[in-house]
Amino acid sequence: MKSSLLLPSRYKWIGTIVLIPSLILGILVRFKDFSFDFLTLPSKAKQEGMQKIFNFDEVINLTDELALTGIIIGLLFIAFAREKQEDEFIGKIRLESLQWAVLINYVLLLVATWLVHGLGYIDVMMYNMLTILIFFIIRFHTVLFRNRSSIND
Amino acid sequence: MKNKIKIERARHNLTQQDLAEKIGVSRQTINAMESNKYVPSTVLALKIAGLFQLTVEELFQLDEND
Repeated sequence: MKSSLLLPSRYKWIGTIVLIPSLILGILVRFKDFSFDFLTLPSKAKQEGMQKIFNFDEVINLTDELALTGIIIGLLFIAFAREKQEDEFIGKIRLESLQWAVLINYVLLLVATWLVHGLGYIDVMMYNMLTILIFFIIRFHTVLFRNRSSIND
Repeated sequence: MKNKIKIERARHNLTQQDLAEKIGVSRQTINAMESNKYVPSTVLALKIAGLFQLTVEELFQLDEND
């Protein structure tokens, strides 16, 4: 039985290679206010009243867009890469892991909704964009690893 | 569901890896079926039974939980 929504298994490594620099860039952008100057767009924001009222950044810099794009694509590649021996049992573990990741993700979101207020909640939503994929990858590979190490002849 | 894969595999002198390769699945899958952690699809059940020249009913039986 062929699962059609999967990428070839080498995408696990391509994804890792995309993810690591993007993650480092993302951390620098988020915590050190890092940005690449060449990614700054000329902005018309000064003339636009709405942006002044809401005190939006007047300068648009695309470093964070670049970092998030890399992180999401890297995580998607890793999550959707075929295992070397993808079969129906591994497909079942894959689906269970996805189900588990969605559940944990929303449980944590509900908890955070009641515990985190104000601007901090924007951080919660930011991390929540990525946690489904992260939880899925962790759970899927943990189960695969546990199955491999429990093999006995 | 119970099965006799492990017995038949021993009778044919195959390792889990040998059987996995013949059927075209991972070794984990064979191991999970033998330890009754995984119920295979009809396609896979037919392939294994065919390899051992048994019917599916001879290789797989319902248990009291099914």
